Parts: sequence; C-alpha cells; structure tokens
Amino acid sequence: MQDHSMTSLFDRLTSLFRSKPRLKPAELQAAFRSHYKEFRSLLTANNNALELMAEMEQVLSAGHSFGMAFIRGNCTALTVNIYKMIQHLNRLADGRYAELDQPFRDVTRRLEQVIASRPVITEGVMILSMAEVDSSMVDQVGEKMANLGEVRNRVGLRTPDGFVMTAAAGRHFTQANDLQVEINRRLKGLDLDNLEELYTVSAGIQSLIANAPLPKELEQEILAHHQQLVIDKDPELLVALRSSAIGEDRSNVSFAGQYRTQLNVSSEFVGQAYKEIVAGKYKSQAIVYRQQRGFRHQDVHMCVGCLRMVDAAISGVLYSRAPDDPRSRFVMIQAAPGLAGNVVDGSAATEQFRVSRTAPYDILGRQSGAGQVGGGVGSLLTLTAVQAAELAEVGVRLEEHFGTPQDIEWSIDQAGLLYILQSRPLGRPAAEESSWPRQHDSKEDDLPPPLLAGGVCASRGVGCGPVFTVRSSLDLLRFPKGAVLVVETPYPDWASLLDRASAVISETGQMAAHLATVAREFGIPAIFGMKQALAALDNHSLITVDATAAKVYEGRVEPLLALAPPRPNLMVGSPVYKILVAAMEYITPLNLTDPASPFFRPESCLTLHDLTRYCHEKAVVEMFKFGERYGFNDKAAKQLVVDAPSQWWVIDLDDGFSPDFDPASRYVDLGHIVSVPMLAIWQGMTAFPWAGPPPVSLRGFGSIIFQSTRNPGLDPGVRSAMAAKNYFLISRNFCNLSVRLGYHFALVEANLGEFLTENYVNFQFKGGAADENRRLLRIGLIADILNEFGFRVEQKADAMTARIEKKPGSFLLERLKILGYLIIHTRQIDMVMGDEGMVAQYRQKIMTDLQTFLEKPETAEMEE
Amino acid sequence: MADFSVLVIDDEQEFVSTLVRRLRKRGWESEGVLTGGEAILKIAAGDFAVALLDMRLPDMDGSQVLREIMKINPQTRIIILTGHASASEGEEGIRNGAFDYLIKPVEFETLLEKLQAARERSP
Repeated sequence: MQDHSMTSLFDRLTSLFRSKPRLKPAELQAAFRSHYKEFRSLLTANNNALELMAEMEQVLSAGHSFGMAFIRGNCTALTVNIYKMIQHLNRLADGRYAELDQPFRDVTRRLEQVIASRPVITEGVMILSMAEVDSSMVDQVGEKMANLGEVRNRVGLRTPDGFVMTAAAGRHFTQANDLQVEINRRLKGLDLDNLEELYTVSAGIQSLIANAPLPKELEQEILAHHQQLVIDKDPELLVALRSSAIGEDRSNVSFAGQYRTQLNVSSEFVGQAYKEIVAGKYKSQAIVYRQQRGFRHQDVHMCVGCLRMVDAAISGVLYSRAPDDPRSRFVMIQAAPGLAGNVVDGSAATEQFRVSRTAPYDILGRQSGAGQVGGGVGSLLTLTAVQAAELAEVGVRLEEHFGTPQDIEWSIDQAGLLYILQSRPLGRPAAEESSWPRQHDSKEDDLPPPLLAGGVCASRGVGCGPVFTVRSSLDLLRFPKGAVLVVETPYPDWASLLDRASAVISETGQMAAHLATVAREFGIPAIFGMKQALAALDNHSLITVDATAAKVYEGRVEPLLALAPPRPNLMVGSPVYKILVAAMEYITPLNLTDPASPFFRPESCLTLHDLTRYCHEKAVVEMFKFGERYGFNDKAAKQLVVDAPSQWWVIDLDDGFSPDFDPASRYVDLGHIVSVPMLAIWQGMTAFPWAGPPPVSLRGFGSIIFQSTRNPGLDPGVRSAMAAKNYFLISRNFCNLSVRLGYHFALVEANLGEFLTENYVNFQFKGGAADENRRLLRIGLIADILNEFGFRVEQKADAMTARIEKKPGSFLLERLKILGYLIIHTRQIDMVMGDEGMVAQYRQKIMTDLQTFLEKPETAEMEE
Repeated sequence: MADFSVLVIDDEQEFVSTLVRRLRKRGWESEGVLTGGEAILKIAAGDFAVALLDMRLPDMDGSQVLREIMKINPQTRIIILTGHASASEGEEGIRNGAFDYLIKPVEFETLLEKLQAARERSP
C-alpha cells in the first residue's frame, strides 16, 4: 500500500517536474524521510559487504586456517547484502535500476559454481588386487596404495601381497547406511578450540561408522579376496590394514600418521578393521589437520589396503635425501628390530645410517638413538653393509622413478627379503632453506647457559612458551594454547596438539617419527631424543626452545626468538584456499572505477565489488536528485551561517531545528539547531582553528600531482556535482554528515536515542591526494587515535571504518567531538606523511588538543 | 592367562562383543557387560584384574561404578575408556583410583600396550 501511494506521489511529482513541485513542507519531509530510510539501509548493506570482502582478503593473506563453512557463509552473506543494495536502490529510484538484476545473477551464478566445485566422483570396482594397481589409479585407491602398486608393478620391487578396498567401496558402505547426513550434522558448528568437544564429536562419528553393518555384497567380496591371500600352509593369515586417503600425500601434504593402520589382523576381524579405518577419516587430529591445511572433508575419501603381514626382522624408514636437506648427497635410513610401525610411531630406539647415493653405496655414518656408536659392545647393529647398500639403491631408484625425493617405509623379513611398505614424496621443511640457516649466527656468549642440550633437531626453529607435560589423554585435554609440548614418546596421537603448541620436546624418538613430519610441515620447532626433559623441565615454567641447536633455555631469550622464521602459511595452495582464490575473482576486483566513464553501467559489473560500487554511487546520486527534483536545495537545505554563510548545508529530517525556526528562510544559524549529535560534531570541528595546509615537500607535492593525473577519481569536479557540498542531515537525536574536504571523503553518522541499544556512532574515512603510502600513514594515525578512544576500527587499504555502539549519550558525544576535530585537522596531512617525524609530531599535537577540549565538556551545554 | 582377565564395561553391544573376541584371540581372558549393575556383580563374583570402563552407562554413572569397584576389589586396575572426553571427569576418575584414562577410539595395539602396562604394575 505504501508503495502504491509512493508511486502515485511520484507520478504526480514527475508531471510537475519542470515547474518544480510545490509540496507542502510536511509532505516533502515525509517523502524525503522514506527515501532517506532506504538510503541508510543501502549504506548499511554496503558497509557489511565491504567488511565481508575485507575479511575474506585478510584471511587469504594472514595464513589463518579456514574451512568451506567460512567461504560459504561469507559468500552467502555478501550476496544477500548486495541483493539488498539493489533492492534499496530500486526503491530509491522507482525501479529504474532493474537492469542490475542480470549482472547480479551472472556473478552469483559463477560464484556458486566455484564454491560448489564438484567432489571427486569415485566410480568403479569396489576391490582391486595389488597386482592391478599403479599410480594412475589414485582416484580409486588413494595415494598410498597407488604409489605402492606403482612400486610393485612398474618399478618391480617387492611389496606385500594384498588388495585395496577402493573409494567406491567406501562410498557404497557410507551410502548403504546413510551416514553422511548424520556425520555432517555432528561436524557442523564444531569448535576446534574446544578439545573435549572435538574428541567427543570425533569419537561419536567414528563409533557411528564402525558400528554400521557392512553391506553384504561388499563383505563377501572382501572375504573372497582375503581368501586368495591364504597360501596353502598358512596356519593363520595375518594382514595389515592401511588407510590410503584420496587427497593424502599430495604435494607437500603428508597427512603423516593422521589415519589409522591396524596390524596383525586375523581373518574374522578384517571387516571390522576395515570399518574402523574408514571411520579414521574423522580422527580428531585428522579433522584439525584438514581444517589447518585447507582440505574439505567431502574431498577426502578413505580407501583401505589389506596387505599380508611381513614377518619382519628389521624395519624402518628410508629417506632418499636428508629430510631437512633435499640436496643431500646421501640417503638416510632409520632402522629398528621388528615392525616398521615402531619406527614411525616414535616408540622404538632406532639406529640411523647415512649411506652414499652412488655405488657401491658405502655407509658414511651410523648413529644409535643414544648417540654416536663407536662400534662398542652392545651397540645396536641393525643393518649389514649389504642391506644398507640395497636400501640406498632402492631409495635412489624410487626417487628417480617418482621424480622427487622419497620417504619410504620398509621391512626385511626373517628370510632376508626386502619389502617396500610405502613410498611417498618427502615433505619439504616448512621454512625455506635460504631463509633459515642450519646453524645460528648468534654467538654463544650472547646467550645464557642452556637448561638442557642434546637430542636431534626433528623440526627446525625457535619457540617459546610455558612447559606442559603430556603423559596421558587426560593431559592432552588440558593442553593450553601456546605451551611447549613435553612428552616421553612422540606418539602420532599428539599431533592434534600441534596447532596449539609453540614447540615440542620429546625424550625419545627421531626425525622419522610421524610427529616430527607433521611438526616440520607446520613449522613447529621440535627436539626429539632429549634425555631427562621430563625431569628437568618444570611444568608451567617459561622456556625458549632452540630446536635448530637442540638447546633449551630458561625464560624468553629474545636474541634467539628474533631469529625464528615466520610460521608458514599452511593454507596456500590447498583445495579450500584455491576455492577462495577462485571465488575472489568474482568478488573483489573493481572494474568500475570512474563514475564519469561511459562504462559505468550495470552491464559492466563483473564482480560483487562492482555491484556495490555501482549501487553506492547511484544511491548518492538518487538521493540528491530527489532533493533537486523537489527543490530541497532551495527549500529543505539551509545554508549554515556562522559569521557568514559557510560551505555547510543542513537538512532537517524531522525535529532538528527549533520550533521557532522560520521554514521559509534559506539560512540557519547554530542557535536554531537542536540536533544534539550535530552540535557535538560542530564543536569538535571548531574547537581549534585549522592551521591550514601543512608545508609540503617537493617530493610530496610531486606525488600528489602524479596521483591526480593518474586517477581522475581524485578530482572532486569529476565526481557527482552534488557531492561537492557538505550536508548535515539531522533530527534531534540523529545526524548524518558527509564531507568531501579536499581529496578525502568522510562520513559520520550518529544516533543517540532513548535506548542504549540504538545508540551508535559510525565513521568512515577514505581517500586522500598523496600516494598510497602517505594515505596509509594518515589512515594509520587516525585509526590509532580512534582506537585509543574506544572505537572499533577496521581498515582496509586506504579506507577505514570506526564504530562505537550501545554506549551512553555522554560518552558518544565526546566521540563525536573527536571526529569533528579529526575531520578538520587531518585535512591534507597525508601530503607530509612520508616523514615519520611528522607523523609523531601530528599525533602529539592532536592528542594534546583533544585532551584540552575533552577536559571541559561543559562548553557544549553553554553554547546551546 | 586365566589369572589375568579383563572385564569390558560398555553399553554398546557391538563394541563389547568385538573387543571381547579380539582380546580372547590375542590371549587375554575377557568378558563383557552392558551395565554398571552387571559390572559390580561380576567384579564381586569373579576375578578380574582389569576393567575397561565406559563413563556413560544406562543404569549408573561411570564414576559411581568406579568407586563401587574400588570398594569391592581395590586391586582392580580400572582403565577408563570413554567417548565423552572430559578433563574434569578424567581427573575425578584418576583421583578415585583409575589406572589410566583413554579416549575412544583406541587402536587395538595401543590398548594391548595399556593392558600390558596394567599387568606389569599389577600388585
């Protein structure tokens, strides 16, 4: 109904357009108010949209982890806000921007396509024999098993017999039990910082999966393949079930030890073990890990290899190059008696070999977990020279075959036959070699004596935090953020703490342990094999861990911490990161830069940013066009008279002028203004005379001229003509001030109502004439000052918003005075901002001025 | 190994029966019950050196079962094995005499290590 009356009003007014409508002031005010309401809503949506965009940009550069929920949530919120802007603009302009609909649809459709990007569809057979598998089958059997099949069938090395339950099998199992919906429900809203919740949800999902029945046909197929592994005289066949996730081991992502492996599984438990390993996709550390590394749960499919157990005499890990030096000329071997699992789960004492990469593959060095082996009695002697040479040759061969250094698990059985259990690319150390020296340059005598020294550097770097000892799952639940994780054994299960730990110290273990691999990937410094760590380090005491030198110091050691490289941005290159980057293509680029250009049209809007820009610009135009159309420049906008008519105009929206004001007057003086927020701003603006433009150095001036020629948007004349006047839109409790002073644009809006919840002050500031660096320095200065006065400040590039909400009127009035002051006194100071000394000087002056007039707030009342 | 047997106390039938069969297969005498009441009766009647105790049981609170078992036979090594991770509940359990605290799911091999540890420190 309101729309109808609005339309008829418009019709009437349009017909009178040429002869300027003669509306009664009350009618004019009503029409204006309803338009102004739309305009304000549009501005709110605009702010929301810009903030969302800034947040998304920030997340890309800051390296914080985020998931698909973040991307989806932000994109939806963005789309909604831009839809609102279009709606408000159309209502402002009587539907004249309907053609925005098409570009809006186009952009959002493309955006949806990016976000919904298809999970890998896994078709094909449910079970494949290892004899049929090679690396081309990654999407069916997962990285681990595809690589192992490649080792067996293409490289021709010995691997255990077995078969793989493919991604299709996993999907069939999940779908037959209709598990995914329930799993997603439980994961939704999971707070990863709450460890109790994380473990409980993880346990619940895993038990849901492990207790679901296997579909009959799948169970039968598994049994049939299992039967084929039985060799005639086998008393009882034991197998190992190994997870092989799709999405695992790719590029620099190891997923080391995140999933489950079950050894010595007898025939009757194969089905159960299979389900448990599929459930392992939702192990707590796997959930955390995927979030940190930017993997979507839906893209990870769990395939499971079922391999005959090797009756191992010796097992271990073989690196075709040193894990912390991809250019090393030797292979590195960790060996221990028994199963390979003991080496990678960190529990076994191992012997380490460095073996030449060229024939005859001489042993260059050997070292037991306890330190140098001098060939003394009782020292661990795991490998013969022949075995070491065989392993080295295999390492080099696999590296050549796969084209990149390899991390290989192996076993030698009782008969002396070598089996390859796994081969995957060797993860790069997170910090770049060049930027992080192997040895520190800092001189020993600069440093205090260490509390502890010894062990091996499992992951380089320096970290500092309070000691927190973890002996049991109970300690794990209580681990505080930023603490140094101190353990006896580096179990893979502790990996879920690595996003909270500042460093890791373990009494046992070596660099082949899964925990070390994950620590290297996350860039968390770690020392393993540091004897007496548990006894020597008091819980909660602050220590600095220099993992590179394998030393621990009391307290914070700044000279060492200064050497620490920044934490790597773990998200870069991950699937979720890539999706956000792809989505940003349709969000942030700004193609509509110049409102005066003929291309400033709806059809030119290729991104959401373009749409916001277009809507915002047109809304400002419409708002003032309304005024022109109905003659509010003549009637409603009153020129403010202080001593003489000023550049400031005031429009009363409701009750901002005193009742004795003559509506026919073209001027208004301060005495007739009763808008509380406007008076506060004005007081701030006039408390001190403006010192005039600051002295500009030649360089600063040159930069302004350069910017002006390059960016026509800087010239106020090119922009909408109506924006050149400065307007206060007021009521008793409300004020909206838009200012274009020189080259910058500022907007203050305040509402001081009866209810605390409705009170707010918003401030926006943008632009400047100088080059970007100077503008940023000025914005930085303003942001800094506003922060100090309790504003919530957000800054992106050279635009800033600051706001305070829900505070008492007296508090907000002071803030408005500050804003009034800043609007006047920060004019053009960006031009001199190249000079740090000037920044400090201005800051000093501004703070002194502000303190001076904030100390006598009574002047406000006196003027009234 | 009949002198060292394990009582599995958990309300999930599937979990209990699978675990009991697995333990037997690996040479650990074991039995399972689904409620706290049954558990107390079993402990009173039998000779269990270790109890694997879930904290969420249909008839009784896990911590109550723990206290009852410690009263009846203080020699019992109780390993809490719960799907509901809670530091405070775990602390209370350890205070009341539990031998260890594990969060589900635990790898079977890890569980065997824990049982081995319980056996070694058995009085």
